[in-house]
Amino acid sequence: MRRIVLVSILAAALVVPVFATGQTEAADDSIHVALSAPITGDWSEYGVNFQRSVEMAIEAINADGGVLGGRTFRLSVGDTKGNPQESATLAQKWTSDDSIVAQIGAFSSSSSMAAQPIYDAAGMVQLSPTASHADYAKGSPWSFGIVGTQAGEGPFNAAFAYDDLDLRKIAVLHLNNDWGIDTAKYFSEAFESEGGEIVGTEFYFDGESDFTAVLTKLKDSDADGLFIASFYNDGAGINIQRDRLDWDVTVLGPTSLYSPQLISLGGDSVEGLYTATGFFAEDPDPRLRAYVEGFTEKYGDPPNFHAALAYDAMFLLADAIERAGSTDREAIRDALAETSDFPGLAGSITFTERGDANKGYSKLTIADGRFIPYE
Amino acid sequence: MFLQQLVNGITQGSMFALLAISFAIVYGTLRLVNFATGSLYMVGAFAGWMIVQFVTANLFLAILAGAVAGFIMGFVLERFAFRALRGVARIASLICTIGFAWFINELMTVLFGAERKAMPPFYSDTAFVISGVSVSWLQIILVAVAVVILVLLQLLIFRTRIGLAIRAVSLDFKTAGLMGIPIDRVISFTFALAGAMAGISGVLASAYYNAVFPFMGNIAGLKSFSAAVFGGLTSIPGAILGGYLLGLVENFGVQVISAGYRDIIGFVIMVVFLLVRPQGLLGRKSS
Repeated sequence: MRRIVLVSILAAALVVPVFATGQTEAADDSIHVALSAPITGDWSEYGVNFQRSVEMAIEAINADGGVLGGRTFRLSVGDTKGNPQESATLAQKWTSDDSIVAQIGAFSSSSSMAAQPIYDAAGMVQLSPTASHADYAKGSPWSFGIVGTQAGEGPFNAAFAYDDLDLRKIAVLHLNNDWGIDTAKYFSEAFESEGGEIVGTEFYFDGESDFTAVLTKLKDSDADGLFIASFYNDGAGINIQRDRLDWDVTVLGPTSLYSPQLISLGGDSVEGLYTATGFFAEDPDPRLRAYVEGFTEKYGDPPNFHAALAYDAMFLLADAIERAGSTDREAIRDALAETSDFPGLAGSITFTERGDANKGYSKLTIADGRFIPYE
Repeated sequence: MFLQQLVNGITQGSMFALLAISFAIVYGTLRLVNFATGSLYMVGAFAGWMIVQFVTANLFLAILAGAVAGFIMGFVLERFAFRALRGVARIASLICTIGFAWFINELMTVLFGAERKAMPPFYSDTAFVISGVSVSWLQIILVAVAVVILVLLQLLIFRTRIGLAIRAVSLDFKTAGLMGIPIDRVISFTFALAGAMAGISGVLASAYYNAVFPFMGNIAGLKSFSAAVFGGLTSIPGAILGGYLLGLVENFGVQVISAGYRDIIGFVIMVVFLLVRPQGLLGRKSS
């Protein structure tokens, strides 16, 4: 008898947290949403920031009067541990709970894709802040990703180069991997359709540190601009060596260059470089300032790009529910798919037919050793 | 453009040449390929970086620090990893150099992290421009340092007693021992000297590319080894020639074909050449 009591207590202790997560004072007509994120494990830093951001967003929305004429949100949080199987198990749990109207998550593309068939079969929105794999969003009409793809960023950078910087002949230097090839391809196509000319394309392999030879060759191409599809470490090396060759050319690169490391490695040689970012933490925009300062005050560290995307995901979901005029799962999906120019903090969001976001970016340049907005 | 690539090639070739010599010295005396050479190059670069970062931003002091660090590491490597294995199957020593390379690389990753550290730019002002070709002071200094070291090394080997001993050991170390040459000390010194060459090359490269990171020696080591083989592995002038030729071939290859093929061009030429002349440019024909 005593053993049964003990076992029951233990079992209860194990079960309580499951029911307890996030279900704070559930008002009857509150709208229930779920978050799947790697709260523990290798990616816990991201997962914890997801939870913080979504909770902050819900707080702000509820304080602002909620949606659909005063209905507030409540959140259930599930831990994927960064494991695709856990993510799929959570998907079973969320979809079988009739009160849940939509799910935000997961963090990684693989976790999102493992859960995808379950959301697809059950008919529930799966809105990932960060999954960027080309096969994720197109895998199901119920799946959406808001981080953006190179297909969207390329035209933005091309317009930046052509319209704002008045460049007409561009030389392209890219890292030779999936990402670099795509980045160079989408940029070049868009730049040529703007009316510009790509006067040379060269690539290099990961791990190369000598760019002098290839820059000498590109210098010969009579380009007025140089587009570098690189990450910040190669970006710094390329600019130092370009500077040493006395090649005075306008340098432009994708969002991957936006890192303080670019400036600390590249020094003077990256002065005047142009790049873009989805999330500029020093942006003076009052909504962004309120989020960055509120987050920093509450949790000690400033939010990064990934945290801001999770914040955007919750606001986007609330906006879609308002536009749908109901909490019906299918109505939410349809409203979400029609999203156009949603003003996210980490860039505006317009969904493509596949469910990927075409993002808006802010233009940056480097002056006096700092990133500043380009005007 | 031809001139500019020539300048680029000579600068890059200087670093290859120093590193190729490091291979040639060890191979010449011990008939052993020291695959840890790239790691000694990296350790030298880190030593130089630490001087610049924590002591004073002086390139020449950094080069000296790189030489000292390489010298000590070369000595340690020989003392603990090779002396015990001398006379045993050569393959054991070879594997030992590979193991030592990975050990140092991983150790530096644990100590300093895998990310690149910035080496501040030195003498990056343009020294002169002829017909559109800009040559920076740094390039002049790099080439000058390499040439001075190469000359000093020739003097050391052909004009000093220890040089005479090294040459004797390289011809036949058993007989040299019987003639009263302290072969342990000579071999230690040879390894340390090779380490110093690699260390200097590492500092020069880190100043030229403005970056220091634990795996920087892998590709540089492999390419310089090939340059040394190309030049004839046992010959120091051959290694120098091989290093400069590799630098030039790579840079002109980029100009004529594409940067993506730079390694392919260099190695194809090398393989074809070695098929025709297996002992390399200036190597001795083995009997």
